[in-house]
Amino acid sequence: MDMNEKPKVEEKVENAQPVEETKPELPDTKEGKLVKELIDKAPYAEGSVRRERRVEFKVPAERIHEFLELASEKFEMLMQISTVDWLKEGEFELVYQLWSVSEGIHAFVRTRVPRDNAKLPTVMDIWPVAETYEREAHEFFGIIFEGNPRLGPFILEPREYEKHPLRKDFNTLSYVKTIYGEDFDRYDESKTNYVI
Amino acid sequence: MANLEVPKELREEAKQHDMYLHPIDKDTYELFFGPQHMATENFSIILKVDGNRIERAIVNPGFLHRGFEKLAEQRPYFTNIALILRICVPESDVPENIYSMAVDEIVGWEVPERAQWIRTVVLEMARMSAWMFWIMGFGNEIGLYTAGQWAAAYRERFMRLYEELTGGRVYHIYTVPGGVRRDIPGDKWLRQLRDTVEYIKGKLKDFDEILFDNYITFERTEGVGVMDRKFALKHAVTGPNLRAVGVPYDVRKDDPYYLYPELEFEVPVLKEGDSLARTLVRRYEMEQDLYILEQLLDMGPPSGPYMVKDARLKALPRFKPPKGDAYAHVESTKGDFGAYVVSDGTHKPYRAHFRGPSQSHGVTVLEELLKGARIADVPVILKTLDNCPPDIDR
Repeated sequence: MDMNEKPKVEEKVENAQPVEETKPELPDTKEGKLVKELIDKAPYAEGSVRRERRVEFKVPAERIHEFLELASEKFEMLMQISTVDWLKEGEFELVYQLWSVSEGIHAFVRTRVPRDNAKLPTVMDIWPVAETYEREAHEFFGIIFEGNPRLGPFILEPREYEKHPLRKDFNTLSYVKTIYGEDFDRYDESKTNYVI
Repeated sequence: MANLEVPKELREEAKQHDMYLHPIDKDTYELFFGPQHMATENFSIILKVDGNRIERAIVNPGFLHRGFEKLAEQRPYFTNIALILRICVPESDVPENIYSMAVDEIVGWEVPERAQWIRTVVLEMARMSAWMFWIMGFGNEIGLYTAGQWAAAYRERFMRLYEELTGGRVYHIYTVPGGVRRDIPGDKWLRQLRDTVEYIKGKLKDFDEILFDNYITFERTEGVGVMDRKFALKHAVTGPNLRAVGVPYDVRKDDPYYLYPELEFEVPVLKEGDSLARTLVRRYEMEQDLYILEQLLDMGPPSGPYMVKDARLKALPRFKPPKGDAYAHVESTKGDFGAYVVSDGTHKPYRAHFRGPSQSHGVTVLEELLKGARIADVPVILKTLDNCPPDIDR
């Protein structure tokens, strides 16, 4: 074989070293050990340590229930479910905030669902307190939690219930104008008199 | 009970005349408890009552909803302080602090030592004045009004100190991202605080005699609204309510912030899980809080600035933190109070979500505990859980 001959593409592909996914190494702390233990059991999730006593997981929405059931062995309490509306990306981000009483570690478990037709399984069977947080997320963002029997008006009035006011495309001003009409004269259209 | 079902023939006859007779169950009725009831504080519970016993309770919040989270997305970072501190009125410093802590973490600010000392003192003062507020409510619920009136008067001493420190009595707008808004007024203020701590410490004995060691309190609270350890953990009950079922979880110990790692204090734990245990845990915590305040005063405020030095602080309304998110929580008298703040790099928070402790123990837990209780126990259970309705409505 002529040494000056360039190797063919096929040979290149054959000889190429398999590219290993570079995962950030987990520190040798109690947080790192806990993340490693969970990731080994659930390889579909990504895990990282943010700082002391804060860890983070990213889980696909289809397997969120499975993952949380696994996590509930270490994390006894579900502190809250925060929803963030990423309007430009067309997605809702749900952050399940977990706290481990035995280890003293807070975990963010993130998952993303499309904005239209946002559906997730309920985690009421793991932590019954999820009922309240799911009702809240359903009312303010319109996310449907399959299996939660109490989704419906909770805090808002019925006329507001269908609007999902914490979505980013909900315009507070136009809503107020339609409700109060001409009586609403406290808003200055020109904004010249506004401090902020 | 007599069979009160309407006969079929009679019902059909009535139907022809446009009348619908429904079977009436004479002993069961619906009772709307609140939102005007003193014990519920702008909160309503729909009770299905059989005689004197509650069969089912449905929590009906929403009378307070003020849309803080939506408003917070439409205002600059520093302006939000004046808004979110209104989440829980008796201890308004807690929402200020968690929001500031979360923003500090996003920006990456290390709060100066002096500011940390002031923030710790302010939080402990908030806890003491909230305990006084709680005694006021609890004393009234079980009919011991004197204790409540005393507590209201003692709370006034803390209010006066707050007024001198911050300019406000109830709403302080004092803790801001990066430190505190202004320095402590001087040594006179510290002396006054020490006097107040000493004074309240002496008065705790009076409270013991009139309230905590009282036959009426024991009669009304023992064995009422019992929960067990597993139930409490599954429902994410925190604070004194969790410590009353035997779990020694305290944010100040388990996720320490500010100067708490340097302070000595105990986390009181009882096992019974009934209203009496919750009451007594609160009584022991008052002692610990006074002890913490004494230690802080002995330590004295460290010298140095009370605010971080950062050029970005000069143009406050346009202050922009980098992209990111953070969760911060502190131990309030109601439990674990948390804030989750998301920044997208603009001058307004992209999302601010608050975890009120009452969100967990004020909805599902309350509904469970009220099952089988007497009507007269409703205020007692509500007050010993220390439910703060704005936590739920926000």
